[in-house]
Amino acid sequence: MAEKLEPAKVLYCGVCSLPAEYCEFGPDFARCKPWLIDNAPDLYPDLLKEANEKGVDNVSDKLQAVGISGADGAATSSSQTGGTSKKEEVKRLPGGKVKKKERQEVIIEKVVRNKRKCITIVKGLEGFGIKLSDASKKLGKKFATGASVVKGPTEKEQIDVQGDIIYDIVEFITDTWPDVPERSIFFIEDGKKVQAG
Amino acid sequence: MFKKFSLEEISSQNQVKASVQRRIRQSIQEEYPGLETVLEDLLPKKSPLIVVKCPNHLTLVVVNNVPLFFCIRDGPYMPTLRLLHQYPNIMKRFQVDRGAIKFVFSGANIMCPGLTSPGGVLDEEVEAERPVAIYAEGKQHALAIGFTKMSAKDIKSINKGIGVDNMHYLNDGLWKMERLD
Repeated sequence: MAEKLEPAKVLYCGVCSLPAEYCEFGPDFARCKPWLIDNAPDLYPDLLKEANEKGVDNVSDKLQAVGISGADGAATSSSQTGGTSKKEEVKRLPGGKVKKKERQEVIIEKVVRNKRKCITIVKGLEGFGIKLSDASKKLGKKFATGASVVKGPTEKEQIDVQGDIIYDIVEFITDTWPDVPERSIFFIEDGKKVQAG
Repeated sequence: MFKKFSLEEISSQNQVKASVQRRIRQSIQEEYPGLETVLEDLLPKKSPLIVVKCPNHLTLVVVNNVPLFFCIRDGPYMPTLRLLHQYPNIMKRFQVDRGAIKFVFSGANIMCPGLTSPGGVLDEEVEAERPVAIYAEGKQHALAIGFTKMSAKDIKSINKGIGVDNMHYLNDGLWKMERLD
């Protein structure tokens, strides 16, 4: 009973202040990753492997392009940027605040209204920071039909455009808003078929 | 419990008199015999013990601007997670499976199935209305501190409903407040 209990030393992540093993449940795992690689490599051995692989790919590309053999410096800097750049795209756009789960995809659906009339529903443009009211005006003007912003079954809003324009709309979206890549546009064909653009 | 907790939530802060301090020490000592040896360091007799009162009948025991224990109404004193990480063996352990982790992280109470499923571990001796430490499958450190609603035997047999109330969890308001100044 005379033994004194010694306080255990816990490694708390510098970024999210949680014990290092819980970083994956923390608010921003992507930011924790570089810290974890430096300070707690044994907890997440897959991260180290990932970082090394990315470093290797980037380095080999760079070498091919530039043809200089300064590989070490390039590897560390590129692994940092490679890991964080994708997340930063998503973070920056919706007005600065970090939004969880902003899957950036545009979904285009065709719904039949009367036997020969249909409407095209465009969902997901807000994910790219596009104002829906402006978008619907442009769409209506371009296709000379009515377009309106409608509240969908969830709180998400969507644009309804009269007529069947799914084939032209992809081109139009990528031309007017170069931020939207073709590969993040999906058609719905009986359940989300990844018919990219 | 501590979903929202900040300096504004404190309704009053008082240094307590020695008799009250002694009473608090005694109840902590009874509750956590494992802490006996270090109790002198954590709650020294000479150092001013500050009791912070917050809405919802919540009392915090603060020493040197660091919250160490909290209690609801007159319930048992429970250590903060930071303290528990330093002295992990003072409380009984329950373990939840991996799937429950993210729910606990948003403050959800722990349901019986989370404890009786393959990833979960129950300590049979634990009675109802007792503080327990909640660990997660595959993790070394405590995830949350809870107050059992049902005894371990009931949790195993009934296996429905809330087993443990989630009082304090990682990254909640109290966790974020390492020091009160």
